Amino acid sequence: MRGLEVHFPIRKGVLLERPVGAVRAVDGVDLDVERGTTFGLVGESGCGKSTLGRAILRLVEPTAGTVRFDGIDVASLRPEPLRRLRARMQMVFQDPLSSLDPRQNVESILVEPLRTHRVATGKDARRRARELLDVVGLPAAAAARYPHEFSGGQRQRIGIARALALNPELIVADEPVSALDVSIQAQVVNLLEELQKEFGLTYLVIAHDLAVVRHISETIGVMYLGRIVEQAPSDELYATPRHPYTIALMSAVPIPDPEVEDRRERILLRGDLPSPANPPSGCRFHTRCPFRQPTRCHDEDPALRELGPGHAVACHWAEQVATGEIRPHPTAVPS
Amino acid sequence: MVLLSVEDLHVTFSHRGRRELRAVDGVSFQVEPGATVGLVGESGCGKSVTSLAIMGLLPPRGAHVKGAVRFDGEDLLQLPPAQLRALRGRELAMVFQDPQTSLNPVLTIGRQVTEVLERHRGLRGDEAKREAAALLDRVGIPDAGRRLKDYPHQLSGGMRQRVMIAIALACKPRLLIADEPTTALDVTIQAQILELLKELVADTGTALVMITHDLGVVAGLCDEVHVMYSGRIVESADRRGLFGAPRHPYTTGLLASVPRLDSPRGVPLRPIPGSPRDTLAWAEGCAFAPRCTRRVEACTTTAPDLVVDAVTRHPVRCYNPWPPGGEPVATSERKKRLT
Amino acid sequence: MSIAESEARLLSTEHTGDIAGSRMREAFRQLRRNPVAILGAALITLFVVVAVFAPWLAPHSPTAGDLSQITLSHVPGPSAEHPLGLDTQGRDELSRIIYGARASLLIGVVSLSLGALVGMLIGALAGGLGGWVDSLLMRLMDIMLAVPGLLFAIAVAAVLQPSLRSVMIAIAVVNVPVFARLLRASMIGQRHSDYVLAARSIGVRRWRIIVGHVLPNSLAPVIVQGTLSLATAIIDAAGLAFLGLGSADPSVPEWGRMLADTQQYLQSAPQLALFPGLAIVVSVLGFNLLGDALREALDPKLRR
Repeated sequence: MRGLEVHFPIRKGVLLERPVGAVRAVDGVDLDVERGTTFGLVGESGCGKSTLGRAILRLVEPTAGTVRFDGIDVASLRPEPLRRLRARMQMVFQDPLSSLDPRQNVESILVEPLRTHRVATGKDARRRARELLDVVGLPAAAAARYPHEFSGGQRQRIGIARALALNPELIVADEPVSALDVSIQAQVVNLLEELQKEFGLTYLVIAHDLAVVRHISETIGVMYLGRIVEQAPSDELYATPRHPYTIALMSAVPIPDPEVEDRRERILLRGDLPSPANPPSGCRFHTRCPFRQPTRCHDEDPALRELGPGHAVACHWAEQVATGEIRPHPTAVPS
Repeated sequence: MVLLSVEDLHVTFSHRGRRELRAVDGVSFQVEPGATVGLVGESGCGKSVTSLAIMGLLPPRGAHVKGAVRFDGEDLLQLPPAQLRALRGRELAMVFQDPQTSLNPVLTIGRQVTEVLERHRGLRGDEAKREAAALLDRVGIPDAGRRLKDYPHQLSGGMRQRVMIAIALACKPRLLIADEPTTALDVTIQAQILELLKELVADTGTALVMITHDLGVVAGLCDEVHVMYSGRIVESADRRGLFGAPRHPYTTGLLASVPRLDSPRGVPLRPIPGSPRDTLAWAEGCAFAPRCTRRVEACTTTAPDLVVDAVTRHPVRCYNPWPPGGEPVATSERKKRLT
Repeated sequence: MSIAESEARLLSTEHTGDIAGSRMREAFRQLRRNPVAILGAALITLFVVVAVFAPWLAPHSPTAGDLSQITLSHVPGPSAEHPLGLDTQGRDELSRIIYGARASLLIGVVSLSLGALVGMLIGALAGGLGGWVDSLLMRLMDIMLAVPGLLFAIAVAAVLQPSLRSVMIAIAVVNVPVFARLLRASMIGQRHSDYVLAARSIGVRRWRIIVGHVLPNSLAPVIVQGTLSLATAIIDAAGLAFLGLGSADPSVPEWGRMLADTQQYLQSAPQLALFPGLAIVVSVLGFNLLGDALREALDPKLRR
């Protein structure tokens, strides 16, 4: 441990082999997550963000590439060392009900990781379980109850408590709030933030909701069809989005304020997400891109280039888009 | 001239051996022709049940509907089933949340669109097909003529929702009810569908009742908004009134708990404590009281009425509402950034 | 008010005794309220009590008969002494029905336990391990399923000599692929669920996940199938006995054989076909009713 100097450099290329061809769920993604910070991964369904999160924890096997966690190459670990490493990297799931075994009561859910890694047993484990409940804001009485007896928000707290049980360093949270009621989402977001401060956690938050991701992340990576198309510090991404997809994504997020809604210019994307099994040639976004140019876009795969400190964009024309030299094509309803 | 008038609507569900459930508990609102009205609330607030009650789609066994749903002056609840069926699809149409399950998987989309045209508009054969293709084209389905032969599973979620909208619009209804039509879709597709709905309302003069949990969707779309909690409307206003001067603690709570894309980082969210499951029965007071930060004594004894507020002129169901502009809702950076 | 406080308050106000305990207990509560389940359970209880306490309940010996009153054209009907009359061998019909429950229960329980045990073992191996083990075992089960059950049972009974044991083995073998496939399918469904992923991400060992999480959550359909299969086993046993493939000792009372024995007396003593038939129907009905009610209680999707 060398304090803040320690990075989690994560470099990988993942191919999920399917009997019918290969679905490139995640394809050549490089990303680094700094210790003690939150990296937000945002993108629409099918962009590969969940697969990426699971590949980092090796819950799916990466086809190629490496994942380094605190200098340890996770991708090539043998099963037993991997199992031991799991104590240091944990996951919070989208649907708290389906990720909790309906037959286990809360205490047994929280004790399981402790017992598995022989951290604590018997009375100690049960005391620890109650501590964890307290940490996530649930009363000790919850220990004897079963998952279905709780509301969605409470269940997600149980899921978070389980992830915290082994004092992990990294938590991958896959859509941690999207299954929850609006009024509950904020409780869980705040809890995650408090826990980060208290325990110095590192988060990789995966979500489709740009507003949530912007709220909790220091750095954001925007994914499209298995690639990161833009990566920047959160505020900078919001202030100066450079990739056409990011720009369109931001303009599509509704804002609960009629004043803002009436004034904003929407950039509508044409059509649907192409199939990840057969991604478009060249820039993967070119089939829907409102800024598409006649050259390069359809035949040349743009690399992720650094345009400013910590701000990388995978677009041939990012500079011209930024200066307004290239304007979006008028997009009516696609026809 | 009012198109739809929902008057004191009550829906209770009762099951053998179970406590009866009041899903909708005295809801009244009106929809003018061509207007867009939003019903907003979280799961279990009764917004979807309200829409099903308007359409007469609640199961006759188990659901008890009281009150009146006047469409063009006629009470739909009193209408014989055959007449209601004739009205449904022609004058009233509905779009559901999940376009995957609301289309029949074994029929082509062409068949599903022409079926409606045949039943309600008496079109036949090629004429029906041409009209179906025109409708699909109208809702933005590329290459509509060829798409008629596709089955629902061959289309993406966004396209299926377009088909649902085409079916709903087939007979130029005067009222369209959309129940969370974009919740199952991606953000960029949601933007497309919302834009489409906006256009259609403007072009055809159809009135739209938009049911959603997303305040952002309402802010850009609806003329008038009703916020529902636990089966009752707690606040009603035009959208500028609602977002500009929200009064009910639930409305402000919702606004303060949603992270906004345009709010600066580091502003903590202020969640509403508890969960929508923690309600008080309206008979015992205000249903929101257990979660309310502005609760006063009266709140847990008698339920407040929906009273038109003297200052903002919009109805609020609260004894102790926030003064207009009094609640520090997460402030917008008001950035012109949003291209 | 902190979140912890408010949550604590909510936990106390919430769920006012509405839900208690695990999902299993919830299912039992459902069953207790379901009249179908109660009727089914009552019939099964009656059946089991009769079988277990046969020596005390039966008014006469089931095997000792008095042939003096029997002719081909006359079999004495119900009387005060013999409430259901005599059978064709002059034995007390009621006592034979009562003792017949023993054979049915024995065959049903033993053959089903055996079949379900072996089937679940195979299913658990296939569903838990997957891969080539799964493929191999399942093809084997497919072959077993392709053989018609009753014919197979007849063949087994013929090869092993007609006896209660042969009947039990035959019915057990027929049940093996049913349970194997059911448990495997159920386990595979569970194996891809989020909580299994969660357990993996904690670092729980594979066999622990299978035994501790996947298996217990896969049992509900097996329990339902078990109840329904008991009913089938009783019918199969009766069928085999009817065909003369039951117990080697013809004096042992079996409902199926009792039906067969009365064929020539249908004109003169139709009650002799009625009573064993009723006994079969009532016991089978009990298990079927309970099975349906169980299915409804264990599968939330079927609840209204």
